[in-house]
Amino acid sequence: MGAQEIQPEPNQDIELMRGISQGDRWAFACFYDQYCKLLFAVAFRILNDQKEAEDVLQEVFLQIWDKAGTYNPTLGKPISWAVTLTRNKAIDYIRAQQRRTKLLEHAATEMLANAPGGTANGTVHGTQNEELISSAVAELPAEQRKAIEMAFFGGFTQNEISETLKEPLGTIKARIRRGMLRLRERLEGVV
Amino acid sequence: MIDEHMEELASLHVLGLLTPPEEKAFAAALARDPELQALVTSLLTARDALAGTVPAAAPSPQVKDRILAELDARTKPSAPRRERPTAPNFLNFWLPWAIATAAVLLCVHQTVEKQTLEATVAKQNARIAELDQLADELRGATNQMAQTVASLQAETKLADVRIALMNSLLSDAPKAVAVSLWDNQKQSGVFVVQNLKPLPADRDYQLWVIDPKYKVPVSAGVFQVDESGNVRLHFKADKAIVTADKFAVTLEPKGGLPTPTLKNLVLLGG
Repeated sequence: MGAQEIQPEPNQDIELMRGISQGDRWAFACFYDQYCKLLFAVAFRILNDQKEAEDVLQEVFLQIWDKAGTYNPTLGKPISWAVTLTRNKAIDYIRAQQRRTKLLEHAATEMLANAPGGTANGTVHGTQNEELISSAVAELPAEQRKAIEMAFFGGFTQNEISETLKEPLGTIKARIRRGMLRLRERLEGVV
Repeated sequence: MIDEHMEELASLHVLGLLTPPEEKAFAAALARDPELQALVTSLLTARDALAGTVPAAAPSPQVKDRILAELDARTKPSAPRRERPTAPNFLNFWLPWAIATAAVLLCVHQTVEKQTLEATVAKQNARIAELDQLADELRGATNQMAQTVASLQAETKLADVRIALMNSLLSDAPKAVAVSLWDNQKQSGVFVVQNLKPLPADRDYQLWVIDPKYKVPVSAGVFQVDESGNVRLHFKADKAIVTADKFAVTLEPKGGLPTPTLKNLVLLGG
């Protein structure tokens, strides 16, 4: 189970982001406390290494401090922006270290396993919503979920996914589109 | 209306799958289309939920400290200043005189302020020297105690004994230090304290053992210190101790209380 149950208000996050852009350390600490677990879990899922995931988390939060002024609310919530920064930074780490093959073997095994002890969603959306989110993700058709996870957590390009799954590029793109729209539909009103 | 192609690009965008030229073109389309922005925002929310399905994990607490330390080392760029409004023409003649007068007043003010600041700096330097000396003394006392404990442990005399160094929580008795040795097998301990303030006759210091098994700390008796602030005593706890996690000393009315008065915490350690 997640350690805390928080229901963040998007507007509150935008206020925090505004504060951070003005050098408000209290706002920064609040944003860190709210989301460090989720962002760390994402980095850890990609890197599978505590130390590297912590390094990524540190770099991401320093980037948030430096770049909060460039955050544009019309392009998504602050946490979406932070997740993108984290994912991209972690993928950069992977690419830099050429460890993808080894990690993918591990990720593939983990992907099939149920994660005991709750998920990172539990720390942000609360336990009840955590279950709804997990069930929405679990209900995605396997081929759609696989393509999405390879892209997001594995850092694969469109062509690499196509080659790995031995499917035409157009099929992969369509799968991803259908999977993402389906996920969005299922999660409407939940997150 | 968003067509399937744009939906596809939006889905690939939120997963970081667009190539740089595709991303550039998509960003331009996104900037001018509120409907597309809404779609991307909702897809990002779905993606974040997917990201959150990873097993819960937490960074070590040191990460936050490292980040905040890094921020300390940086200088936050200041917010852009507003343009100064242009003065009306009739002020142009008087403005240089006003500036000159202000400069003279500023010099006088700064001279006074400089003298005040010098006095403050001198006081603070004296206080820093005093605190340095105090820190040296405390380090000396702690090292001495740590060495004693280490040598006793080396002789295996204290191999099974819980040892806690306790530090002062009082601003008016910062030099107070104590060590508590607890033998769980014998259910008894030795407590040594130095530099604690002697008390009036109607007050006592009370020693507590903090054991996670009990909701409130367990009393281990009351004591007074000699005129130098020192005492050495053998003690037993009021209840059977399973784990002596921490030790504390509070200031209480004569004879002590069944539960500690937390606002009167004097020493704490574990």
